[in-house]
Amino acid sequence: MSDAPAILVRDVRKTYSGGFEAVRGVSFEVQRGEFFGLLGPNGAGKSSLMRMLYNKSVRTSGLIEVLGFDPLKNELEIKFLSGIVPQDDNLDVDLDVVANLQVYARFYGLGTRATRARIEELLDFLELGEKKKAKIRELSGGMRRRLIIARALLNDPKLLILDEPTTGLDPQVRHLIWDKLRLLKKQGLTLMLTTHYMEEAFQLCDRLAILDHGAAVLEGRPIDLVKGHIEAYVLEIIQREASAALTYAGPVRRETIQDRVLFFSNSAAELEAIAAGLNPGDFYLRQSNLEDVFLKTTGRSIHD
Amino acid sequence: MTEITKFSVPVPSLARRLGSVWWRHVRVYSSSLFSNAIPPFLEPLIFLAGIGLGLGRYIVSMDGLPYIQFLAVGLVLTSAMYTASFENTFGTFIRLEFDKVYDGMQAASLTAENLMWGELLFTATKGACFAGAVLIILSCFGLITTPWMLVGVPLGFVTAAMFGAIAMLVTSAVSNINHFNFYFTLFISPLFFFSGVVFPLSQLPDGLRWVAALLPLTHPVELMRTAAGGHTVFGPVFNLVYLAVFIPVVGTLAVKRMRKRLVS
Repeated sequence: MSDAPAILVRDVRKTYSGGFEAVRGVSFEVQRGEFFGLLGPNGAGKSSLMRMLYNKSVRTSGLIEVLGFDPLKNELEIKFLSGIVPQDDNLDVDLDVVANLQVYARFYGLGTRATRARIEELLDFLELGEKKKAKIRELSGGMRRRLIIARALLNDPKLLILDEPTTGLDPQVRHLIWDKLRLLKKQGLTLMLTTHYMEEAFQLCDRLAILDHGAAVLEGRPIDLVKGHIEAYVLEIIQREASAALTYAGPVRRETIQDRVLFFSNSAAELEAIAAGLNPGDFYLRQSNLEDVFLKTTGRSIHD
Repeated sequence: MTEITKFSVPVPSLARRLGSVWWRHVRVYSSSLFSNAIPPFLEPLIFLAGIGLGLGRYIVSMDGLPYIQFLAVGLVLTSAMYTASFENTFGTFIRLEFDKVYDGMQAASLTAENLMWGELLFTATKGACFAGAVLIILSCFGLITTPWMLVGVPLGFVTAAMFGAIAMLVTSAVSNINHFNFYFTLFISPLFFFSGVVFPLSQLPDGLRWVAALLPLTHPVELMRTAAGGHTVFGPVFNLVYLAVFIPVVGTLAVKRMRKRLVS
């Protein structure tokens, strides 16, 4: 069990009872101690994949092993060893912060007395120490998320699975959560997350996979994906009319999106030359990023 | 390999898992103790006062007993029926669809089946407590005629387990919370009148008696009458066999169907 990867997913498919094929043959591995990210537009199959890891959803075919266990056979072992942060807030709204954690600790067979210190420690770690007696309804969205993360850490997991942990949160809370997740990784935890935020994936993940229409289309280190799959620089022209008169040649790729025109090139000089004919304020020259790679691979059309 | 590692992961035993789910419901229920603990006492109080002061003056006796005493025997269990029915229709549905409580619980080391059986265990416990509350009120009215009537507490447990299971089965098929209104109007309310609570089943025409034999509430109520020394139509053996078959069968079916809503 010790040399097996933390998560092994091989040719996994999921077809829901209505016939919808959410996941169509995805494979990846997450090594122990690694921080792995799953990106993809809505409906790409991220959450379906996450749910199949702990048998909240039953796979149609393929192989899954989490910490050496098959979720179809050893759901309880996997859940005992992993912390799971689901997408929705699902705390017990009738209980206060500490009671939420006490009740949850029992699900792992931990008694109230034994968990008192652990609860204190986790609330301090997630900076909720002053909210112990608060009702869930009194907590902000960011506090609830942090409490759900604390809840997932109660049983001292080997693996933390997070489904869109920072969706809808303000930048302060998002950065706080990022810091905490980095600390957990440093302590040796294996982490896996899904996210819509490219910045988040870029900052946190050692490796990531981009899913589209239920299949993995790209996989690698974030920095390598940006280096290997997109030109180094982007010139964005905000007004299409401004670009009408432009003439350009050379290794420059052009993309038109509604009212904007984008030029991609590995040479900043090329793009500067194009921009020279424009009014300042009509364009924006920058380094390309993971979001450019994401949009290039998954397309710009709306997926929902 | 799995055989060895299985032992190294100290997953809590089935009993502890069910117990932890039961405990979650107890904690949530007792978090608003005032509003949750008063009604089970008030309900029978109001009922008995209304019947005693009103209807009881017109109906002098039923089945050889003062009417209020006849009625009291059945009332011990109807409160268990109602509380179980609410708990596993509206309560379960809200936890499932609105509060997403089960999603949170399924992330811990519990299976979908553990969640549902643990919940039925809690419903049954609640039924026992409600029956106990009615017995306390009855004793205030001097309506506890024999200590055998304390059997009402375990019978409340059984009644609530049964109606919790039926309610859960209904919930597994319901997509709109308003549909429960049909369940209460067309199923639960008639049971109150045709299960030997308000009049003896011996008064039913022969052709209708077998219908009463099929109705679930009939059987715990008859057992309660047996305990209180009253008359019954079907007798305790039939009652016990009915309960021993009905509860596991409907409970298993309900948990199975609910699993389909909890695991996609």
